[in-house]
Amino acid sequence: MIVKEWCSFCGECAGVCPRNLIQVREYALVFNEDDCKDCDTCVKACPINALEKED
Amino acid sequence: MIETDVIVVGAGPAGSSAAKHAALGGAKVILIDKKSEIGSPKRCAEGVSIEGLERLGIKPNHRWITKKIEGVRIQSPDGTDIWLTEDQVKLPEAGYILERKVFDKYMAMDAARAGAEIRVKTLVTGVEKIKDGYIVETESMGKEETYKCKILIAADGPEGHVARWAGLKPAAKAKEMESGVQYEMCNVEFEKQGVIEFYLGSCAPGGYVWIFPKGEDIANVGLAVLPHKAEKTAIEYLDDFVANSPYLKNAQAVEINVGGDPVGGMTKKLYDDNIMVCGDAAGQVNPLTGGGIISGMTGGMCAGQVAAEAIKEDCSKKFLKQYDTIAHEALDHEIKRYKKVQEYLLTLSDEELDSIAHAFEDETFEKISTTEIVKKLVKISPKALLKLGKFV
Repeated sequence: MIVKEWCSFCGECAGVCPRNLIQVREYALVFNEDDCKDCDTCVKACPINALEKED
Repeated sequence: MIETDVIVVGAGPAGSSAAKHAALGGAKVILIDKKSEIGSPKRCAEGVSIEGLERLGIKPNHRWITKKIEGVRIQSPDGTDIWLTEDQVKLPEAGYILERKVFDKYMAMDAARAGAEIRVKTLVTGVEKIKDGYIVETESMGKEETYKCKILIAADGPEGHVARWAGLKPAAKAKEMESGVQYEMCNVEFEKQGVIEFYLGSCAPGGYVWIFPKGEDIANVGLAVLPHKAEKTAIEYLDDFVANSPYLKNAQAVEINVGGDPVGGMTKKLYDDNIMVCGDAAGQVNPLTGGGIISGMTGGMCAGQVAAEAIKEDCSKKFLKQYDTIAHEALDHEIKRYKKVQEYLLTLSDEELDSIAHAFEDETFEKISTTEIVKKLVKISPKALLKLGKFV
């Protein structure tokens, strides 16, 4: 997952992740990419378009 | 290893309330928050009811109140206004717009004055269930620390991991998590001062736009959408609204806030052996308004009080079930009923909202409360009667 520099670490993505794979630190997101099934829920939920899926 | 009775994770209003009441009950409490500054960045539109604060025993303080709410304006998609202002009606659910950055800190200070210890800029990196409690692993500025507690209270927000790590279900499914964004703006031109404004319909699919006044020409201007109902992201809807609102043509943002709001109602399981969940993490949010300060603090108070008693007696889920009982007693009335209204509103098209608003224009209100508004709604709309008949 590409986290854009304007991410505000609000945690919306972590809140909606059905597999609980995103940890929100104060100024960082930590993704567990290994278990991600590319459901895109976090990308769509981000209020400010700060997440982009890597090809 | 640091041992304590109670650890509360998250020093938002719910967590601080839990920590305060656990400490007041005689428990040894540590309140942990990942942020450098409690209350910042703020996470909501900052509205609370005065009566709600009173019930929590919190005295209003001018340092965290920016504006008293003197009325409500609801606008339908075609621009029809419903004004509910104090000159026309009584306001039993009157409220304040807070300065959350100050309010949240004051609530944490209340907890500290009650005896709780606070750890800021401290991230909980994991929890582990042991026989008589929880091990809590933390990290603060490169330093790791391990805590042991008898009761763990998860108040770590809608994104929180603590409850999930403990095997409890998260607050909201993706479909029930509002995606919110807000500007704090100046140069806002109000038609009437001190009125909280709601804009319904396709300007914010699955949610609404709000303008909450903070005194002078300042307001929180924001919205929340349900992503599966939306065609754009929340910020795109907000920028469109700001660009087209006559009241915001000169408005300038001095702050942007983002975040999720769980509007699915309270989670099924609020507790287990040695753990309780409260606040947004437990879905203690009014599903209609998205407001969660008072309800989260009420949940926190219940959890804190039960924790203090549990420390003296029994920390098993058998004892902690009390928390579930009193939290539901305190909050179900609001959460379950408004969930129904929210679900009903979600079914309405812009045209239906307009026709309801037109019918409302001719109604007079004696007092303002959400219940009163729903009563009128049922009177006006047969569809509302069908869906909300039981509400009144």
